[in-house]
Amino acid sequence: MLEDKIDDVFDYVQERCLWQFFSRTWDRQENIDGVLEQATGLLTGKEVARETPMSRLHYADAKIMVGDLQERYPWVKEAGEQEIREVMDGLKLRLIDTAITRSTNRELNHHLY
Amino acid sequence: MPMVLLECDKDIPERQKHIYLKAPDEDTREYLPIANAATIPGTLSERGCAFCGAKLVIGGVLKDTIQMIHGPLGCAYDTWHTKRYPTDNGHFNMKYVWSTDMKESHIVFGGEKRLEQSMHEAFDQMPDIKRMIVYTTCPTALIGDDIKAVAKKVMKDRPDVDVFTVDCPGFAGVSQSKGHHVLNIGWINEKVETLEKEITSEYTMNFIGDFNIQGDTQLLQTYWDKLGIQVIAHFTGNGTYDDLRCMHQAKLNVVNCARSSGYIANELKKRYDIPRLDIDSWGFSYMEEGIRKICAFFGIEERGEALIAEERAKWKPKLDWYKERLQGKKMAIWTGGPRLWHWTKSVEDDLGIQVVAMSSKFGHEEDFEKVIARGKEGTYYIDDGNELEFFEIIDLVKPDVIFTGPRVGELVKKLHIPYVNGHGYHNGPYMGFEGFVNLARDTYNAVYNPLRHLAGVDIRDKAQATPIIQREAA
Repeated sequence: MLEDKIDDVFDYVQERCLWQFFSRTWDRQENIDGVLEQATGLLTGKEVARETPMSRLHYADAKIMVGDLQERYPWVKEAGEQEIREVMDGLKLRLIDTAITRSTNRELNHHLY
Repeated sequence: MPMVLLECDKDIPERQKHIYLKAPDEDTREYLPIANAATIPGTLSERGCAFCGAKLVIGGVLKDTIQMIHGPLGCAYDTWHTKRYPTDNGHFNMKYVWSTDMKESHIVFGGEKRLEQSMHEAFDQMPDIKRMIVYTTCPTALIGDDIKAVAKKVMKDRPDVDVFTVDCPGFAGVSQSKGHHVLNIGWINEKVETLEKEITSEYTMNFIGDFNIQGDTQLLQTYWDKLGIQVIAHFTGNGTYDDLRCMHQAKLNVVNCARSSGYIANELKKRYDIPRLDIDSWGFSYMEEGIRKICAFFGIEERGEALIAEERAKWKPKLDWYKERLQGKKMAIWTGGPRLWHWTKSVEDDLGIQVVAMSSKFGHEEDFEKVIARGKEGTYYIDDGNELEFFEIIDLVKPDVIFTGPRVGELVKKLHIPYVNGHGYHNGPYMGFEGFVNLARDTYNAVYNPLRHLAGVDIRDKAQATPIIQREAA
């Protein structure tokens, strides 16, 4: 059940989100961490940080993502905080695995842009 | 076997690592095509050169800058007028072409004096123009002409001019992609933060990786004006040299073409803490998403929603008319790189078109990660495709229309398959809401064009029926 929900959000992110495929490992990690933290906050009704330029950037990406997830998957609106956290934690692991750890993109770890 | 060895490639089996057929329930990380690698001997690549990537794609777009090409005449002519990027000042960049016209004697005795003379001559002939980019080419790089030293000398002689140099001969790198990189990194190293401009809005951004193809930039600028966002610099559609020197002043970098221009966005983030927001500017759904993200960053969401509502009311009925008639049609996209991932979902979602094959000339593996994540199963994903491969893929997927350049386009027309210019457009702009209706219209006109069917009929053979294509007025 949890895996199905992770599948849903993972498929959405794969299809829609360019931030997972930035140029280098550290950019991808920063985006995955930042956007998912903001998205989790928004989905669980928490006040999210928007003080720094990067937090505003991640908020902008997360806001669209949360709106789309709520529209596409009815279970998102019904899920409790604990379940949202579990789904987002599972999504994060899968994104890191797909876009970073097992990506065969040979440019990901070049120290220069 | 998701990596595909085509029949035409049986003598160059290395090509198998560059062609992927997406299959169900597959982990695409196992099957990422090799990209941005040297072209395999034996394949007739359709790639451009690195100099072309710097000049034709990025530098040559600027509307107030002399593009001095230090090399033989052909390097200048062949990178001029083959892209349609107009400007709002009378298309200065498309009216003129500049070259040092290097001949054998200059190669033997050195071309620096000739370059210096040409630079002075160009500035003398165009006294209102004070900005110049100088490009090296294969022969002038090989003989070691120091274009940077010449540029310094000319700037010393003419204190009111500013010159940028691009040291990127055609043989550098594996494709035009290297030229994008050299220009991006050179510009941030040498020119950004050398000028400050007046700030007129609390919302400022650079719009990066849009080259005003048939007016894309100018169309999108109407959106930014309505939203009250000041664009510090357009990199480089309808852009100016001096605006690009002020890129450090923006609060946000919005990136469309991440392949040609992602480098400068990354460096602006690293050096000036300006965040990079990647968006897609083609398609209704993507354009709405991009506007919403930009507005969310600045906290002006209401303005964004008002703009989207206004544009949808104006253009959505027109888009839907075409969608009804294009539903289920099959498209191939054979362009540079990013348009594969920009377009595959937008034509699917907004027009009901199925993309069946995509080929990239200069995309990197990052581009294939994006396009395979977005693209459909049963679709071919090809790096650095060649003509024989295109013929074979056409037989396999039978597209109704191909988005590609004029050279490949003329080729496929002989098979009676219509093409739409995927680089310079047929009748653009194609970005934004209005633009995507234009793309839909050109696709419709191509698919329903009666001439291509008639051209397949041998009029000497009375037994052949003449097809009748019913085409409606939009």
